[in-house]
Amino acid sequence: MLKVTLRGLMAHKVRLIATAISVLLGVAFMSGTQVLTSSVSASFDKVFSDVYASIDVVVRSTNKVETPFGSQRTRISESVVPTVTGVSGVEAAEGQVVGQIKVLDKDNKPLVTAQGPPNFGLNWLTSPSLNGWKVAEGGTAPTAPDDIVLDAKTAKDGNYVVGDTVNVSVTKGVQSFKLVGIAKFGKLDTWGGAQAALFTTPTIQALVGEPGMFDWISIAGKDGESQQQLADAVSKVIPAGTEAITGKKFTAESQDAFQKIIGIFSTFLLVFALIALFVGSFIIYNTFSIIVAQRTKELALLRALGASRSQILRSIILEAFFVGLSASIIGVGFGILLAIGLNKLMQSIGFSGPDTPIVIPPVAVVVSLLVGTFITLLSALFPARRAATVPPIAAMRDVAVDRTGASKRRVAFGVILLALGAFMLWFGLNGNSDSGLQIIGGGAFFVFIALTVIGPVIATPFASVLGWPLQKASRITGRLARENAMRNPRRTSTTASALMIGIGLVGFIAVTAQSIKVSTVDAINQSVTGQYVVTTEGFGSTALPQSLAADLNAVPGVQTAAGISGTFAKINDSSKVLLAVDPVSITQVIKFTDVEGSFTGLGIGEIAASEKLAKDKNLTIGQPISATFLQGGATTLTLTSIYKTEFPMQGPGWIIATDEFNQVVPPAQQTYSAIYVKLKDTSSAGVAAALPELQKVADTVPGAKLQNLTEYKKAQTDQVNQFLQIVYVLLALALIIAIVGVVNTLLLSVYERTRELGLLRAVGMSRRQVRSTIRLESVIISLMGTLIGLVIGIIFGWALVTALADQGITSFAIPWGQLVIIVIIAILAGVGAALYPARRAARLDVLKAISSD
Amino acid sequence: MTTTTSSPAATSTAAHTESVTKVYGAGDTLVTALDNVSVSFERGKFTAIMGPSGSGKSTLMHCVAGLDTINSGRIFIGDVDLSGLNDKQLTRLRRDTIGFVFQAFNLVPTLTALENITLPMDLAGSAPDQEWLDTIIATVGLSDRLSHRPSELSGGQQQRVAVARALASQPAIIFADEPTGNLDSRSGSEILEFMRAAVDKFSQTIVMVTHDPLAASYADRVVFLADGKVVDDMQSPTTDSVIDRMKSFGA
Ligand SMILES: Nc1ncnc2c1ncn2[C@@H]1O[C@H](COP(=O)(O)OP(=O)(O)OP(=O)(O)O)[C@@H](O)[C@H]1O
Ligand SMILES: [Mg+2]
Repeated sequence: MLKVTLRGLMAHKVRLIATAISVLLGVAFMSGTQVLTSSVSASFDKVFSDVYASIDVVVRSTNKVETPFGSQRTRISESVVPTVTGVSGVEAAEGQVVGQIKVLDKDNKPLVTAQGPPNFGLNWLTSPSLNGWKVAEGGTAPTAPDDIVLDAKTAKDGNYVVGDTVNVSVTKGVQSFKLVGIAKFGKLDTWGGAQAALFTTPTIQALVGEPGMFDWISIAGKDGESQQQLADAVSKVIPAGTEAITGKKFTAESQDAFQKIIGIFSTFLLVFALIALFVGSFIIYNTFSIIVAQRTKELALLRALGASRSQILRSIILEAFFVGLSASIIGVGFGILLAIGLNKLMQSIGFSGPDTPIVIPPVAVVVSLLVGTFITLLSALFPARRAATVPPIAAMRDVAVDRTGASKRRVAFGVILLALGAFMLWFGLNGNSDSGLQIIGGGAFFVFIALTVIGPVIATPFASVLGWPLQKASRITGRLARENAMRNPRRTSTTASALMIGIGLVGFIAVTAQSIKVSTVDAINQSVTGQYVVTTEGFGSTALPQSLAADLNAVPGVQTAAGISGTFAKINDSSKVLLAVDPVSITQVIKFTDVEGSFTGLGIGEIAASEKLAKDKNLTIGQPISATFLQGGATTLTLTSIYKTEFPMQGPGWIIATDEFNQVVPPAQQTYSAIYVKLKDTSSAGVAAALPELQKVADTVPGAKLQNLTEYKKAQTDQVNQFLQIVYVLLALALIIAIVGVVNTLLLSVYERTRELGLLRAVGMSRRQVRSTIRLESVIISLMGTLIGLVIGIIFGWALVTALADQGITSFAIPWGQLVIIVIIAILAGVGAALYPARRAARLDVLKAISSD
Repeated sequence: MTTTTSSPAATSTAAHTESVTKVYGAGDTLVTALDNVSVSFERGKFTAIMGPSGSGKSTLMHCVAGLDTINSGRIFIGDVDLSGLNDKQLTRLRRDTIGFVFQAFNLVPTLTALENITLPMDLAGSAPDQEWLDTIIATVGLSDRLSHRPSELSGGQQQRVAVARALASQPAIIFADEPTGNLDSRSGSEILEFMRAAVDKFSQTIVMVTHDPLAASYADRVVFLADGKVVDDMQSPTTDSVIDRMKSFGA
């Protein structure tokens, strides 16, 4: 029987190409992204362990706030340094300052943007056992207050040489420094691509930190003592509120934080790999179904000759196994190549660690192989079972029994699955479960499966309706195409289903994104009463200095310029983003409505909460709210205002006054993330006239971006568009596989209808008519997948938008233009998919076709 | 080009060949399927082609119908020389001037009987002559089966639809390769009578390949092939005379 399998495999190798391609693409994507993320992660692990290699013990504060960028801690006083230096076993101890610094190029533009690598400002450590940076020949370490040392890569990017003046943008504005040295870290030009600027300790403390305060204290131990022993010894002498941990643990924490981010990214990519494989499974299923149908006679003959059912089943399964495994192996190979290519690309745009070697995690390889093979086997299982049930008598029959797809059992099963999927979607969207996303994903999966199950039932009427205009337009070719699309509903629907999934997700994303965009623009329209906005890509010490708002206020014609700041804090013991505004001036540029208390009266020692937050947390006016700020310590604030605003960027809903903010945040962080400007003359002429003066003032802050309200709204929606593009690119793989599926089905159908095509050609069908028939059939299938997919996508999008209504997504909007484009692309894709099969069909040798059996 | 013509052309034959030779393969596997064949099929006549298996009957038919190419010689449908035609012109010629009936698989399974009958006209985009269509359908006796799909028709009914299709476009010549080969004798004779009637009533030209002496007796003339050569030509054949002649070839 193995011989039969192998022969079968050889005989059908062309027909199995599509199966192989769909498995291969999915597996390549899956293994490739896993290898890439592992490599990036490994290379950054190495960066962290290199950077912290000399540190044996770290002393730091125990007070921390969790942020999306990892946990941030309170600084500790420099007075702790002499305390720990005295501990026996300590070779050297120095305080470390790390902050964000924007190094400017010679045109005063930031050298790296917010999307680029991080940009650190650090103090230069004087002890050689702690400092990994070495100044290259011709330079010195920073000693004077206006000295700066840059890493070799930054110096090169900025075309700076020792002696040059280097401008740096900080809270207080642009400051000039003298480049006294260019440093390498060990042998490396850069800290894993990050920008590093080094200063004397007092200078950097003033720029990004607080005088006399360190982020942590690094300790190098004498030889012969373990990190743990040293940490224990140091622990005994340090003040309360601080802790001593080993360098190893410190490194591991940084690595973990980074891996968490990479992990999210990696999971995100994995989802798309699985979608691609899911789509691919339809093609595998179809291919094997068609092969089994075409081999019915041969299989029946084998059965008649005494082959058992299980032998037939095994032979098909074995065939699937060979195809799945070999395609997976090649897929993993391609995946590794893909990872190498992408890694090179990332390195070339400076987004990766130093000379990252490719790490091929065995788990990723094994899992990719298993998933690829398993999906092939699973998809071939049903066709194989059908093959096994071919009765021996079928060998004597002329034509394979036509299975119409519309059984009651099928409909019932499909409806049950659909209900299950819909319930999971509903539950995932409205429940408060932690695994909401997984449940939603599972729900979507079941809905797609349900539609696939019901597919054959609706395929015939669908093809009939879609084909009707074609038949009207192109008579006999349209008629034949329509009939062909209807003649094997299961095949048509499976092919269309593959497309449906991809298009469904595209439609879902498009509708959701459009709703977010429309909601955001609506919210801005309803809440922002200013005419201009100044924004920045920086945050914290690299955001907009508060003085910029004052400068803008001084511009003639400006009624009010008011800024918004943000910081992380622990409020009632959970880490939150907190906004700070000047309540009187901000209400001039953004609409806030009092629900209870007085928003404009918000002062020092007080806090405001949004209406939703107050409702969710059962807050009442006058209630004390405990707040712990990173550097400002713990305080108790009184809730004096419950407000309402449509403003879209309000975070969780906590707001304090800027005056309070400036008390709890060190001067270096006293910045605005955005400043809103309201003019006296709001006529369009007045708005235009104000621009030059405003621009002049905004330009004094590097990285500050002045936008009118239209540009501002566009910038907000552009962020959504960017995300949309990334998702589209990732979904393209699934769509390509779906198109391969259409090509495959058409090719196999053409092969199956050889005789019929021969007959048509014999009685006078021209090659053009043959091509047109195949093309129209392809368009019907593609349109069917696309239209059902779009309907599903819109429904999914509607469900999500409805569930997110209280997150500020208040409008449900359908991007009709985009949807029409998708439909047009689908038609073109259908035409494209038919190119090769149609050519094959048209090229058929009439004589061979009519005499083939 | 006058491929759409069904009016009598200058020549009195519907189709004829001049020294046609057709070989398959090369070297050791070389088969001369047609060896210098010159034959003509008269207009309005029913011609049968007979001969042992492998004698080249199907090949001759395919070549004359423009489905296959030849190595030397010339083939004419009416006064059109096939050697001068490209694929597009040949397709048009087949659609407009030639009708086909094969032994099996004559019909497009997705089309109804009526649609199969009008298929060549639909392909040409021309409207069928309704009166003529009605005449044919009445003659084949399929009026109540017109909306059925081929799978819902018996083998004999399917062949009748095939013959009706061949007649519907009033082609200059109809080629039938063993049209009754798959049928029992009763269904077979129905088809043969029907073809005979088409020749008698409508002056249709029909060329039919057959192995069956009884079938051949319906024809006006029998051309005998053996080893790719025309070996005999018999007018007004009867079952017995055909059997006698076949015996002499040892077939
Ligand atoms: N495509 C081909 N390649 C090679 N040889 C062929 C091909 N088609 C036919 N032949 C050979 O040409 C010769 C004539 O074949 P043809 O099919 O015309 O015979 P036939 O008279 O129709 O026979 P039958 O009564 O069995 O149908 C045979 O020897 C056959 O083997
Ligand atoms: Mg033959």
